[in-house]
Amino acid sequence: MKRHHWVVRVTHWVNVVAFTLMVGSGLQIFNAYPAFARRGETFCCYPFAHKAIPSALTFGGWLAGARNWHFAMMWVLVLNGLIYIAFIYLHGEWRDLVPRRGDPRDAWQMIRFYLFLRRDHPRQGKHNALQKAAYFAFPVLAALQVATGLAIWKPVQLSWLTALFGGYVWARYWHFLSMVGLVGLIIGHVFMVFAVDPYSLVSMVTGGYDARFSPEARNARPFYHLLPQQSDAGASEGD
Amino acid sequence: MDRRHFLALGGATLGAAFLDGCGLDRAPQAEPVLRSAERRNEAIERSLFRHRSVDRPPAGARAAGAAFPMYFISKHPPVWDESVRGAWTLEVTGAVKRPIKLTLPELVKLRSVTQRVDHFCVEGWTAVAEWTGVRMRELARIVEPTPDAGYVDFQSFDDDYHESWDIESAMHPQTIVAYGMDGRYLGVPHGAPARVHSPVKLGYKNTKYLTRIVFLPGRNGGYWSDQGYEWYGGV
Repeated sequence: MKRHHWVVRVTHWVNVVAFTLMVGSGLQIFNAYPAFARRGETFCCYPFAHKAIPSALTFGGWLAGARNWHFAMMWVLVLNGLIYIAFIYLHGEWRDLVPRRGDPRDAWQMIRFYLFLRRDHPRQGKHNALQKAAYFAFPVLAALQVATGLAIWKPVQLSWLTALFGGYVWARYWHFLSMVGLVGLIIGHVFMVFAVDPYSLVSMVTGGYDARFSPEARNARPFYHLLPQQSDAGASEGD
Repeated sequence: MDRRHFLALGGATLGAAFLDGCGLDRAPQAEPVLRSAERRNEAIERSLFRHRSVDRPPAGARAAGAAFPMYFISKHPPVWDESVRGAWTLEVTGAVKRPIKLTLPELVKLRSVTQRVDHFCVEGWTAVAEWTGVRMRELARIVEPTPDAGYVDFQSFDDDYHESWDIESAMHPQTIVAYGMDGRYLGVPHGAPARVHSPVKLGYKNTKYLTRIVFLPGRNGGYWSDQGYEWYGGV
């Protein structure tokens, strides 16, 4: 069965590369002044001021190199994101991602399931409720990332936008925090792919998916029931 | 950006992903693509640029005062030594009808403005100060640039430091030739006797230790922009 349209797969992997380079170059830029306070002031909300990000996580070599990468790659990321959003809107995939009224309840049941407070995997559509929340949060945070990025790129010419985020210093902070939020979601996402549904990695490459291998069919929790179940008797094993 | 450039940038993206692993993120193959993106960004930034978009620091923002960073490229702080070089003058020349040479007292006598604005450093920090000086507009009114003068080069006695600008940014009402900072004459750390200051350009475009302002028909690079920083450097 086809799980992901090729447009979704291509934009996903372009996103992986472009976002990685945006984070790397962004951290390199950040290292030129790894703090938020205006000169002569203090900033309330960043405990790691003046501690550089390890260079292994940076990209671009130096400030100018990183800026050049950042200001080129931002177009790839934005255009790629717009293609993705336009596609899922026109093609109907948005229905699998936009939150519904029952989602908080379903998400709670997923949490209970992962914590072994519930024995059987909750019923789900294409994604479980936690996944839906994460995949919906990606474009929302990405939009915040773009808006705050514009606000600190053009704080005079787009001063209304910068003011919306509380001025340059705060806009820069929100730009940093939304990056941290996205990276956090990505770490969770990648962890769950490998720990719960490695088959989805294949489907994000080839598009194909065997429903018998779905986490719901396997009753899979992180590191539990990674292999397809033989029978109903096998499904309860290890619980 | 057309599709060809999007694909080229996409190709460079993939290339860079591999190069990053090798620590080769300054790959020469990427240069033309990055340059092209920079030119396109400049076109967008110039189309956004408005003289009526002005910088207003938040009311509560504290002036940086002694915390205002300083830098120069010479080995020692650049000090104009009158006994060696004679009296300091500011030459406003190039593609203009009436080139002039101003001594500091002559510059100070011109119509001045005092403005409390941000200083946006390329590194990501900002600093608020109150600058006093003469609007570039006012100097242009005096020297009358010729119609082909699309650019302005700000040159200094800090070795060969200079940065050239588009004339639109130079004529922004907040772009001034500053000789005063926070109510005093400029000190050596901040570009004495005079410097360019404007919140519409990143700090490195704001040449300190000014000696010459040259109106030009074409751009003339700059100390940092020749080394890889964006030539436009607009805020």
